[in-house]
Amino acid sequence: MRDVAIVSFARTRAHAGVRETEAQLLFPVVAGAIEQSGIPRKEIGFTCSGSADYLAGASFAFVGNLEATGAWPPISESHVEMDGAWALYEAWVRLQHGDVDSALVYSSGICTRGDMREVLCLQNDPYYLMPLWADHVSLAALQARALLDTGTVTEADLAEVAARSRRAAPGNPDAQVSGDVTAASMAAEPYVVSPLRTGDCAPLADAAAAVVLVAGDRAREVCERPAWIRGIDHRIEPHYPGLRDLTTSESTRLAARHAGAGDAPVEVAEVTAAFSHEELILREALELGDTVEVNPSGGALAGHAVMVSGLVRIGEAFRQIHDHGRRRTLGHATSGPCLQQNLVCVLEGDG
Amino acid sequence: MCSTAAVTSGESTYTLELPYRRSVGPVVGAFLTGLRDQQVLGSRTAAGRVIVPPLEYDPDTGDAVDDLVGVGTSGVVTSWAWIDEPLRKHPLDRPFAWVMVQLDGADTSLVHALDAGTADAVGTGMRVRIRWADERRGHISDIACFEPEVDQ
Amino acid sequence: MTDTERPGEDSGPVRFMTQHIALDYVVRVSPLAERFGEQLRSGRIVGQRCSSCGLVYVPMRAFCPMCTVAMGEEDELELADRGIVTSFTVLTPIQYHGQKERDDYALASILLEGADGTVGQQRLTGMPLDQIRMGMRVEAVWAPPEERASAAGERGYGFGNAIEAWRPTGAPDAPTAEFAAHVL
Repeated sequence: MRDVAIVSFARTRAHAGVRETEAQLLFPVVAGAIEQSGIPRKEIGFTCSGSADYLAGASFAFVGNLEATGAWPPISESHVEMDGAWALYEAWVRLQHGDVDSALVYSSGICTRGDMREVLCLQNDPYYLMPLWADHVSLAALQARALLDTGTVTEADLAEVAARSRRAAPGNPDAQVSGDVTAASMAAEPYVVSPLRTGDCAPLADAAAAVVLVAGDRAREVCERPAWIRGIDHRIEPHYPGLRDLTTSESTRLAARHAGAGDAPVEVAEVTAAFSHEELILREALELGDTVEVNPSGGALAGHAVMVSGLVRIGEAFRQIHDHGRRRTLGHATSGPCLQQNLVCVLEGDG
Repeated sequence: MCSTAAVTSGESTYTLELPYRRSVGPVVGAFLTGLRDQQVLGSRTAAGRVIVPPLEYDPDTGDAVDDLVGVGTSGVVTSWAWIDEPLRKHPLDRPFAWVMVQLDGADTSLVHALDAGTADAVGTGMRVRIRWADERRGHISDIACFEPEVDQ
Repeated sequence: MTDTERPGEDSGPVRFMTQHIALDYVVRVSPLAERFGEQLRSGRIVGQRCSSCGLVYVPMRAFCPMCTVAMGEEDELELADRGIVTSFTVLTPIQYHGQKERDDYALASILLEGADGTVGQQRLTGMPLDQIRMGMRVEAVWAPPEERASAAGERGYGFGNAIEAWRPTGAPDAPTAEFAAHVL
């Protein structure tokens, strides 16, 4: 396997009601990631993006976004209708071929133009579930209830996750919500769909993010402290929620194992939990002990940009190594209702 | 996670319409036909696992499944979530519970709505039964919703 | 709605499931499109020249996609409301659900004087459909000032309904060399 590192990361801050077009949102983010990378734009060997046309409400919306990359002369590029974390995975795979040494990965989503509680119903089984319009918050609530029913988690535990995420967020200028809140105040919020209260559900945001990947020694030439991708893997569970054990995340466990997450202690884990109970399920599946700092950025609970949050988590895990001198971190992304599909990326800094 | 920003003056909306006519095949088709006839079918894998609603393949082995068996029209709630304010497209227009129901004879759960009146009346483990729609056409909403199975 | 093998019959095996999905989206006008729309309401078509490569774009954009250089108010220039038809098509509207058009009509790409890219999907008017040709010189038919939309948005190439259509000026056609590079 070829060694591939993240050498730069740029993002917009998460906030709702963005009026710019998606390409306008992306332009400074892509430019920033490329500038910080030290790789000249024309040298980039492959470009991959992640977004969902259903957020834009227009087919082929992702094609317009290409303008932000300066795709002339024509570039080699690809796109996934997924969170940008999967675009990063494809770029990592592409770099394994050995003929190109750098890749640009970007992701964007303006989800607040539509109602995600309707739009995301389209990811459900078209015959059995979509016609009922069982929205993703309702399905998440079913998972939260199942978790509570095991007796290992209480509503107070959920409130603690919600509060901790918002308390961490002030340290992150890109977070959408933050504050000195207590678990008690989170527990007093009204239910959105029981047992999930407002604080348990991530506020939705519009955002864009980008990273640059570089393979081999070139990463050390352009970046003082690259974050090496030691392992990356993703797994998917059956589609219909009633087929799954919603109280554990077997796909996360498998992805973590194949990414080698357990090979050495992880200092920081940035996980995509759009609902507080998801963080608890992910902690268990990733075997994160008390010594691991989880979501110092505030995580998705401090601002969740659909289709971008996963790439942002990996980017924040990169920042922990590049900006804060950490040695080994983990980024996680998810897709589908109730943590159906999960990606784990393990990063390491030199020395 | 209510997401739509309020439409302020100067903003308009447009509606993206997606009209589909989906072919359903022999397995999904049999299930939907069964619903029309007030019957629930599941698919039985080689290992004997009964999946409701039925899948055309065994999720563990990938083998094709064409063994369809009848299951009960009542069963046990395996999870639930209370909706105080139904969204416009939800199955019921009054407060209800989303439920996962393991019908008698099935090994997996079906997701649907439960008309129970109040959240206090809902709990994991309770027994519920199908309330059939008056007019059925071979659609998941031939099950209008579930209701508590009250002892006679 | 579902269909059996013979639609309307209740007793055969179910073979189809119809599903009509409708999702609502808020139309938001970017600040730049709003500015372009403001100028349109005053009867002005405003484009931009990239300070790096010199290409002239219309409608306005936040950056030059060739150079990836930001463009701002300092790069703006007014363009004439005249141009050349670089390509066109005549449509016979299929009467699908939601279709508003009834009669045949023509849409064209137009190279405005001074611009380096065409604007597309522009309606042509004032002439028989079978006489439209590439190279034809056209001018804008402006809507009355009070009828121009308050915000054009990103649709209709940004012109919204400020410009209703384009009609021939009667001037001699442009030679092919003048527009051949913009035909695609």
